[in-house]
Amino acid sequence: MLEREHTVVTINEKEYLADPGQNLVELLNTTDENVPQICYNESLGPIETCDTCIVQVNGEMVRACGTKVEAGMKVQTKLPHVHKAQKESLDRILENHELYCTVCDYNNGSCEIHNTMAEFGLEHQSRPFEPKPYNRDESGSFYRYDPDQCILCGRCVEVCQDIEVNETLTIDWERQEPRVIWDNDVPIDQSSCVNCGQCATVCPCNAIMEKGMEGDAGFLTDQQPGILRSMIELTKKAETGYGPLFAVSDTEAEMREERIKKTKTVCTYCGVGCSFDVWTKDRKVLKVEPSAQSPANGISTCVKGKFGWDYVNSEERLTKPLIRRGDSFEEVEWNEAIAYVAERMKEIKAEKGADDLGFISSSKATNEESYLMQKLSRQVIGTNNVDNCSRYCQSPATKGLFRTVGHGGDSGSIDDIAKADLVITIGSNTAESHPVLASRIKRSHKLFGQKLYVFDLRKHEMATRADRFYQPNSGTDLVWLSAVTKYILDQGLEDKTFLNEWVNGFDEYRESLEPFTMDYASELTGIPKEELIEVAEEIASFERVAICWAMGVTQHTLGSDTSTAISNLLLVTGNYMKPGCGAYPLRGHNNVQGCSDFGSMPNFFPGYEKTEDDDVRKRYEQAWGVDLPKEPGKDNHQMIEAIHDDNLSAMYVMGEDTGIVDANINYVTAAFEKLDLFIVQDLFLTKTAEYADVVLPASPSLEKEGTFTNTERRIQRLYKSLDPLPGSKPDWEILQLIAKELGHDWGYEHPGEIMEEAASLTPLFAGVSYERLEGYNSLQWPVAEDGSDEPVLFLDGFPFDDKKAKLFPLDFELEYKTTDHYDLHVNNGRILEHFHEGNMTYKSEGITRKTPNAWIEVSAELAKERGLSEGATVKLFSDAGEADGVVTITDRVRGKELYIPLNDNGKLAVNFLTDNSVDKDSNTPAYKEIAVRMEVVKKIGKSPIPSNNHRRGNPVPQISVQVQKKWERDDYEFPGNQVNKNG
Amino acid sequence: MAKAIRRVKPMEVPREEQIEKDVSEVKEAVADNKDAILKGIKLLKALEEGGTLDSAYAFTKKKKEALGYVANELNREQYTPLIENLPELIFLIGELDVKSLREVTERMNQGIEQMNTGDPAAKTSVFDLAKALKDPEINRSITMMMQFLKGMGRQ
Repeated sequence: MLEREHTVVTINEKEYLADPGQNLVELLNTTDENVPQICYNESLGPIETCDTCIVQVNGEMVRACGTKVEAGMKVQTKLPHVHKAQKESLDRILENHELYCTVCDYNNGSCEIHNTMAEFGLEHQSRPFEPKPYNRDESGSFYRYDPDQCILCGRCVEVCQDIEVNETLTIDWERQEPRVIWDNDVPIDQSSCVNCGQCATVCPCNAIMEKGMEGDAGFLTDQQPGILRSMIELTKKAETGYGPLFAVSDTEAEMREERIKKTKTVCTYCGVGCSFDVWTKDRKVLKVEPSAQSPANGISTCVKGKFGWDYVNSEERLTKPLIRRGDSFEEVEWNEAIAYVAERMKEIKAEKGADDLGFISSSKATNEESYLMQKLSRQVIGTNNVDNCSRYCQSPATKGLFRTVGHGGDSGSIDDIAKADLVITIGSNTAESHPVLASRIKRSHKLFGQKLYVFDLRKHEMATRADRFYQPNSGTDLVWLSAVTKYILDQGLEDKTFLNEWVNGFDEYRESLEPFTMDYASELTGIPKEELIEVAEEIASFERVAICWAMGVTQHTLGSDTSTAISNLLLVTGNYMKPGCGAYPLRGHNNVQGCSDFGSMPNFFPGYEKTEDDDVRKRYEQAWGVDLPKEPGKDNHQMIEAIHDDNLSAMYVMGEDTGIVDANINYVTAAFEKLDLFIVQDLFLTKTAEYADVVLPASPSLEKEGTFTNTERRIQRLYKSLDPLPGSKPDWEILQLIAKELGHDWGYEHPGEIMEEAASLTPLFAGVSYERLEGYNSLQWPVAEDGSDEPVLFLDGFPFDDKKAKLFPLDFELEYKTTDHYDLHVNNGRILEHFHEGNMTYKSEGITRKTPNAWIEVSAELAKERGLSEGATVKLFSDAGEADGVVTITDRVRGKELYIPLNDNGKLAVNFLTDNSVDKDSNTPAYKEIAVRMEVVKKIGKSPIPSNNHRRGNPVPQISVQVQKKWERDDYEFPGNQVNKNG
Repeated sequence: MAKAIRRVKPMEVPREEQIEKDVSEVKEAVADNKDAILKGIKLLKALEEGGTLDSAYAFTKKKKEALGYVANELNREQYTPLIENLPELIFLIGELDVKSLREVTERMNQGIEQMNTGDPAAKTSVFDLAKALKDPEINRSITMMMQFLKGMGRQ
């Protein structure tokens, strides 16, 4: 057995065993010794600004947070002079922070200044509070900064610079009165701040605070400024000692607990799966509070998760079911709507057969709801025509992984991506599409020497940070991936042991690589040969390589093959079966993973078990008491085609704005018009719902219980923060009502019972239960019956009969090219602050005032050639349709590439342009392959990007808060030294 | 052919029907919480009888303004010593040795009583003073006073 290194430390005469190199304050916090600390936070690590954790180490006073544990260390925390030094530090903090707790919106029991002072027993303020000569900055949309309350602990700077890595905040230590500044000292609203809100999350007091809290959290805080000031003065006068003040404010804080509800939920936007507490007062969302125990995100959020919840209380929410009668919808009661739906479905099934109906589930729905949608389709109606929106994005990735490694999900966790020596992103605008995950990469890259290679058409943020950045010609990633793999094999740089032991199909695969020479790759991709060789050599040289990819890979006609090529490369270099490496097809929506996992797929039951598998089908037939269809049903794309071919006459769409997000929307909406029965279930009267015969008002995630599965295959529970808006119902309840009306009384009283059923039928989720998912607990599938899960996949082999992975041979044929007529290539994707078609985020005034619409990105070269200036209006024409919008000129795109954010449902909806071409293996629309021609409408105009958009800001990168500049100030003296000197 | 439409005919619920619905909802809530409601009525009655209900009503209606007045008024300089003294006074009470204080007060009262019996016009000479020291009661008082002075001057 290995001898563990023992580090014994004596603290106040008692011995403790520490980890070698452990931070002293961290060790102290595991003991009963109470040492004050304000700037230290376990998620941020030591910042060393507040000086309150001073202790004596081997006879000398030091900051505990700035000290690493050494064997034999003698630590004293209670000596009189140590106490005096700590008190001096706390006094200095109170010079910067006015205590008026009872009338402060931050007085919710978690104010770290309040708690530290109370715990320390500080009774009197030795020196008076000094206001700073700055005004409050309330210019931003979502949070405000009050310099007078700011203690300059630098947590906000640390989180902005090194956790979020947006690099907007700094403290200017040089000026007479230091303060936090944004960019080069501009108002918050004019800065590069992306409103991730993490500064407000980590601020220990009310200096940076969410605006939603202001005047709303306390019983006495909703006052006019003048009166509030009077009350602050009054509170201060009465505070001879802090004891009574704390007693009163603690009581008030306890009273707030009665009124403010804090509910754990999981974010409903991207696939990162951030979890956090939502603070609500009646129906108002006060704030979103992530915590260190949030498994996917820790303390991090992005603007959408932190602030983008206005849609929940939007005036536009539907509150009554609608039935189309004549040329308008009529509001009806639920029982009428449900009876109508059931009756019409029954009629159509009787007349045309079960396969004339189709069902589409959504990533916005919970796992339980996806499960019920396929149950409705298979058990109640009797068809496999059920699919979900992952068809639009990540089905090709799933396909590629099934071919090679057997599980269609990320190989590891976000932690593993952060741990990798090299991260390669392909076709992923990670910083905007998966912001919290991107921050982990940005942090590892900035601080821990992680290497980052980016392959993308656009020079987005990750590209500007990358060690290597290439812009391969659109749709050619498969070629360089295969060429790099071939080169690695040619040079003998592959992981031979791994291939011998764990991989099948080598010879055939090796042969298939023959055409992929470096010269060929260079010619097709446009990346110089020498560079590709370096890339290959470096990939082979790193111990742990993680490859992340997204829609830039999958939404192509060769999406599945390119995903396969990625997995092949990882197999050849042995980057599976260990932490810190593997394949990461970043899931785009909160539950796009779970929606497929739980069976809303035409060929799979939950857990990816084939409908054609007799044993599997028998299992479900027994459980559900009906015969089930065997042949795979139609996917989304085939359903739309079938409508045009008169083979599908009824469709049920749950929570998906298909009429905007599907490719070639003119074609799709024409299909909707042909349907005999079209049921749409949504929060709003969406574009899709406009074509419906029945619209059923659903409830969003905050109004229901259930589970979501994020990109890490992590199943997490959401709890009900708000009651459903009167008139609306959670999807699972609606589906259950319809099933009952159709003669199948499921009888679920709680989503937990649905999960119980799904887990009992699906080996992949055997051990999943609501008890195991309580609170912030989570499980990453596969989950064995005993509840053990797999944060890192494949540690014991691959899920094939002989436990070996497969190399999958590929070839390449590029079909798509721009022509003389359609001479420009349109690329599209997300932007940070809006989501999908924008049905949710455009409801947020704070977001919309900074980003009111989408735009068209044009390169400087193209602008010059066409005589365009910023703000020009252009029309774009493709084979499928036309769109128009306003131009911004940027170096994010080059040459004849255009980029349109997909988050627009007006005239710039990019899917007016997309056509019916699909990935040949998964029918995912090739959204990224549009050739267009451009017509100039107006040569110049107002820029589509407002002056207060973060893209116009000027970040100021630095590492941490640079506390040494504070220490160098003439008016600074280490409290320990001061106490020693003055006795 | 189902064209895209956005027009929605709102459901028109007659007012009577709505009232009936609301009333039945309230009825149900009352039935479910019978005991609490009855107690609540008792409480209201008690408040009404004491005349508190009116003041509470008025204060609630004007809570913000009232708090504002109080805060503004109390912030005036003339109250500053009072507000500052209030908590001090509380601390003072905590620090006082009330038991001894009571003893001393008793003695002081005795002294005052005695004083009132004497002739206010009478004079005391140095000789009288020296003689008085021999009186055990006066001597005890003087000794106590000297101890007190000593204690008060201690640093």
